[in-house]
Amino acid sequence: MTAVRFVFPKPRLAKLLKMPGGVPVAEALERAQANLDTIRPTCLAELQALLELTEARFEAMGQAFDDQQLADLYAVAVRGIGGGEVCKTPAVDLALTSLCDLLDHLRTARRYDREAIAVHVQAWRMLMAMGEQPGAAAVVDGLRKVSARYAAA
Amino acid sequence: MALDPASRSRYNLEDASVLLLDDTTMGMAILVQIVTGLGAKKLYRCTTVEMAQQVALKHEIDLAIVDGMAPSGMGYDFVKWMRTSCQEPNCYTPVIITTAHTPATDVVRARDCGGHIIVKKPFAPIVMLERIIWVAKEGRPFLFSGDYVGPDRRFRDEGPPGGAGRRREDQPANAVLVDAQPDAQLQPRLAS
Repeated sequence: MTAVRFVFPKPRLAKLLKMPGGVPVAEALERAQANLDTIRPTCLAELQALLELTEARFEAMGQAFDDQQLADLYAVAVRGIGGGEVCKTPAVDLALTSLCDLLDHLRTARRYDREAIAVHVQAWRMLMAMGEQPGAAAVVDGLRKVSARYAAA
Repeated sequence: MALDPASRSRYNLEDASVLLLDDTTMGMAILVQIVTGLGAKKLYRCTTVEMAQQVALKHEIDLAIVDGMAPSGMGYDFVKWMRTSCQEPNCYTPVIITTAHTPATDVVRARDCGGHIIVKKPFAPIVMLERIIWVAKEGRPFLFSGDYVGPDRRFRDEGPPGGAGRRREDQPANAVLVDAQPDAQLQPRLAS
């Protein structure tokens, strides 16, 4: 039988958060958003660089399953998730998540679908330009349907 | 856990030591901008597990925000190391795990590393603040059970499984309640 031991630590963080002073929630959130706005140009540049690297790696991929190539593509795409929200292109984060899902499913099932990957990479570039336009949601919806095909494969 | 974004409640992160671990430039930049906006001033920015380990060995950490670091998943290993190899109080530090994407092969690793909560990227500042307030709550038990060391992950006490009660031939539960400080039993867990 596994012995179980419980400990009840008292995190200092709880006390610190309640210390006098501090920042009201509304003000803290405003400041955080303002801070994020300052890094938008660098995030955009980084997302663009990741997109170009992804396109280059995708072009170099062959017509058959290659686990290492899929892993390499995943390693680039996953680094971009989170940047879309800061760059006011939230659909990019969703598209990249769908691409990572797809690559993960393909690697798990040891399958390959070049077209499915291609549509994600092309959509990434398109969504970067679309920003928060209403059509972005439909694009993401389509991508999710593509990656979901391999979810249970 | 929901927080009113217009709330006038105040939270003070000014004196909190916050360890940030993220191996991507963009991920770290976003995290830094969010936590400094929320009021944190003492940040340890770590881009490798080795850097984070050095910080955790030398400084008292009040909060750790650790990226899973896909595809390697080394962020999860760091959290497990914190739980099993760090001295008090850092072995009990509230840990928020961030993740861009968790490959199927890493789901169990992410679940069992000992983090308090996992936050999926992208995350808004309000989500991070809500999670910080949540992980700071007192009274959450820490569990030492076999390979798992970390916060009790149960959100609700739903009692025993439906149907039969405890079986008569079962051994009594071997659970011990221990106060966190001082805890002589943890001395062998000193960091190497």
